[in-house]
Amino acid sequence: MGFSINAGLLDAMVLSIVQNNDTYGYEITQYLRKAVDISESTLYPVLRRLQKNELLETYDKEFMGRNRRYYRITSQGNNSLEEYREEWRSHKKKIDSILLNEGAENNEQT
Amino acid sequence: MNKLEFLTRLRNSLEKGGLSKEDINDALTYYEEVFLDAGFGKEEETAASMGLPEDVAVNILRESGIHINPAPVMPPQNADGQNFNNNTAANPVKKTSGGTWALRIIIGVLTFPIWLPVLIVICSLLFALIVVICSLVFAAAVTAVSLIAGGLVTIFESPFLALMFIGLGLIVTGIVIIICKPAFNAFIPACGRAIKRFWNWIMRLFKKGDKENV
Repeated sequence: MGFSINAGLLDAMVLSIVQNNDTYGYEITQYLRKAVDISESTLYPVLRRLQKNELLETYDKEFMGRNRRYYRITSQGNNSLEEYREEWRSHKKKIDSILLNEGAENNEQT
Repeated sequence: MNKLEFLTRLRNSLEKGGLSKEDINDALTYYEEVFLDAGFGKEEETAASMGLPEDVAVNILRESGIHINPAPVMPPQNADGQNFNNNTAANPVKKTSGGTWALRIIIGVLTFPIWLPVLIVICSLLFALIVVICSLVFAAAVTAVSLIAGGLVTIFESPFLALMFIGLGLIVTGIVIIICKPAFNAFIPACGRAIKRFWNWIMRLFKKGDKENV
């Protein structure tokens, strides 16, 4: 499992998870774990950063007699996520062209 | 490690790093929630999955722009790189501390309409207090002297009244002396020392003058 994940990609994935539906820290980590090996302590600074940049906002909701902090995406967050997705598509295409020899005719010409 | 130990150690590390109270509480709320969401019986497991609370704290602090331990953040690749890293790591720290000082001074200058009147009020109150105390003592002293003087003047006309006056005067004198004694005890030697120092200073000036002349 050698590919390291960078901060930008992590931000984008968290935004995407929260865009699907409002959720809380522990659940976000569980989602992310399906794809990458991270712990709750990796996620907290990410959430804090997204919150400070006003891409996410929080609200408290009662759950079993305590407050659970839910995260909601802002309109700014939606815009940012769209940019991330666009960037990811072009990035993925470039990587695939090399790694999977997709669009190989281009490679052979050069 | 259980939840309580993890959270306590995390709080200590964040406090040591100088994170704001608000940010510390935010982080602790988050991590407490993680423990609760992970499930009651999984405290040890959850704590283990997150690593050492001190390392967690370093990550949070770094995200807040506080670099406690720059070495693990960017490990030097070779000897040259190490020097380079050390220089670049040291400079921003200096710059930011200089910046905050400048900021503090600017804030201090900008807010002078607030603190200047406050300072003046405090100084005037202190001054008024000193004046009041001095005048009370002075009034008491004057009363004592006039009582005794009045007693002495009238001693042949009405001796008993005069004795009472003198007695009252002595009582007030005693009270004034009791009140003033500690003040004088501190004040008179201080004056003596100041005079002595002044004298020495003048003597030294003369000696210097002599040496220069010779």
